[in-house]
Amino acid sequence: MVDHLRKQYGNTLAVADVSFSVSEGEIFGIIGPNGAGKTTTVECISGLRTPSSGSISVYGLSPQKDRGKMREFVGVQLQETALPPRLKVGEAVNLFASFYARPLNPDELLESLGIRQIEDSIYKNLSGGQKQRLSIALALVGRPKIAILDELTTGLDPEARRETWDLIEGIRRGGATVILVTHFMDEAERLCDRLTLINHGAVAVLDTPEAIAAMAGGTRVRFVPSRQLDDKTLLEIPGVTQVERKERYVTVIGNGDLALSVMSSLAKIGVSVSELEARKGSLDDAFVELTKDGQSKVSRGTQK
Amino acid sequence: MTSEKGVSRGRGRRGPFSELLRVEGKLALRAPYGLGLGIIFPTVLLSVFGLIGSAVPGNVANTGFTILELYIPIIIVIEFFGVALTALPIPLVRDRESGWLRRVSTTPVGPSRVLAAQMVLNLAFALAGIVIVLIGSVAVFGATLSVSIYFVFSTILALAEIFSLGLLIAAIAPTQTAQNAISGALFFAMLFLSGLWYPAAEASGPLQTIMYYSPGGAAVNAMLESAFGTGPPLSAVATMVVYAIVFAAVAIRYFRWE
Repeated sequence: MVDHLRKQYGNTLAVADVSFSVSEGEIFGIIGPNGAGKTTTVECISGLRTPSSGSISVYGLSPQKDRGKMREFVGVQLQETALPPRLKVGEAVNLFASFYARPLNPDELLESLGIRQIEDSIYKNLSGGQKQRLSIALALVGRPKIAILDELTTGLDPEARRETWDLIEGIRRGGATVILVTHFMDEAERLCDRLTLINHGAVAVLDTPEAIAAMAGGTRVRFVPSRQLDDKTLLEIPGVTQVERKERYVTVIGNGDLALSVMSSLAKIGVSVSELEARKGSLDDAFVELTKDGQSKVSRGTQK
Repeated sequence: MTSEKGVSRGRGRRGPFSELLRVEGKLALRAPYGLGLGIIFPTVLLSVFGLIGSAVPGNVANTGFTILELYIPIIIVIEFFGVALTALPIPLVRDRESGWLRRVSTTPVGPSRVLAAQMVLNLAFALAGIVIVLIGSVAVFGATLSVSIYFVFSTILALAEIFSLGLLIAAIAPTQTAQNAISGALFFAMLFLSGLWYPAAEASGPLQTIMYYSPGGAAVNAMLESAFGTGPPLSAVATMVVYAIVFAAVAIRYFRWE
């Protein structure tokens, strides 16, 4: 679908070399640190920007040359778009419904997004979450075959995010393909069939969330030892490959049945452990690993 | 949930453009510009100059026109400026700055329809204003004017020239703040050059020449001579045509959707 995409703004290279292909009916995630080129990539796909080189093909059409045809079946939710301040929610959705050949029922759509009760509110009086839901409604009302959603759940509260996720899964059940740009790892992990991590305008990795998470390396065991231990002692425990410390917590990363191995090895030297917590490497960990170059930031600061 | 909503929805689906026109129309009525400058402003001005005209009958100085006659085209032209320099560019610049036009450009309809809807609406406001001024001046203040083919012709040229200027502002103003400043300054200049304080017909020398060759003064001159004289002076017609072409060309050259 996207082949060696490159986009340059003057001297700034936004996208250096991005290639991927999205299959019909999947939820495809694009993740990456801020400024990695995610938005530019999807804007080229939706025809809003023209690539400097490379090619994009959507159902055999070019987003630039066949833009008119593509608009009918590609629904777009853009980052940072405001509606006219005095436009009412219901009016906006009905207006967009009128633009498409076979739209969804606007009332039902508003209902499913939980904004039916505010359909008479004007845009400038909406909360951030309500604006976001309206934006989603506008992207979906045309019954798109492909929905491109950019930073969809930014600014939503946790409950609204979960509801939005259900909605995206609903879109896919309806047969549509979803391209989801996000910087929330839990969102990508939960929703995406496959995802690509873009860093510095290039694809760093492209695989299923599970496979990418596995790149973060086996298991992580975090615990509080009963006395100070040096790295050497910890690395001698069978299976441990890496040690991280944060305050009184020690985290060892490695393979095999790590928790058991840690407890028995430490018991032998008379150290007991408390607050033990073991988990598989997550997408978050992989993200940190793959973008570890000092320039990138993780948006969710749970794991450093 | 009012019952009125249930009726207006769903049945007999409207085409995209009529739906857009309806929504843009509602938005225009929720903002003060179109109604205020297109309808209330000329009504107030007509009342003021109509009353002054009845208090001071007879021709003004050496112009050959009464006060009311002098001011009818002035009121119409500045009403056009009011609509074209504010009500027209304000939503366009705002919706471009907010990314709304860009958002619309991803739908099958495209942002040019938004522009078309704005043109239709604001021309309707401008025409409502001219109807109010013409009917009011004849019915209430007893003006005797002829809506000749010349008058219609001059009006169309004036609209073309003045609306092109409005689109020019929408095209070159980078932000809403800039647009406000440009519109405000230009509107004030056009009020003067159209003769709101001092009609061009009363002026003389270089001032009169400047006024006659300004966008507003040329329109006022053409409409005045069409309504109460024999027809528009060729110089006024030529002036309006040149302005219309220049404004429209620059507007088209610099207009951006995002």
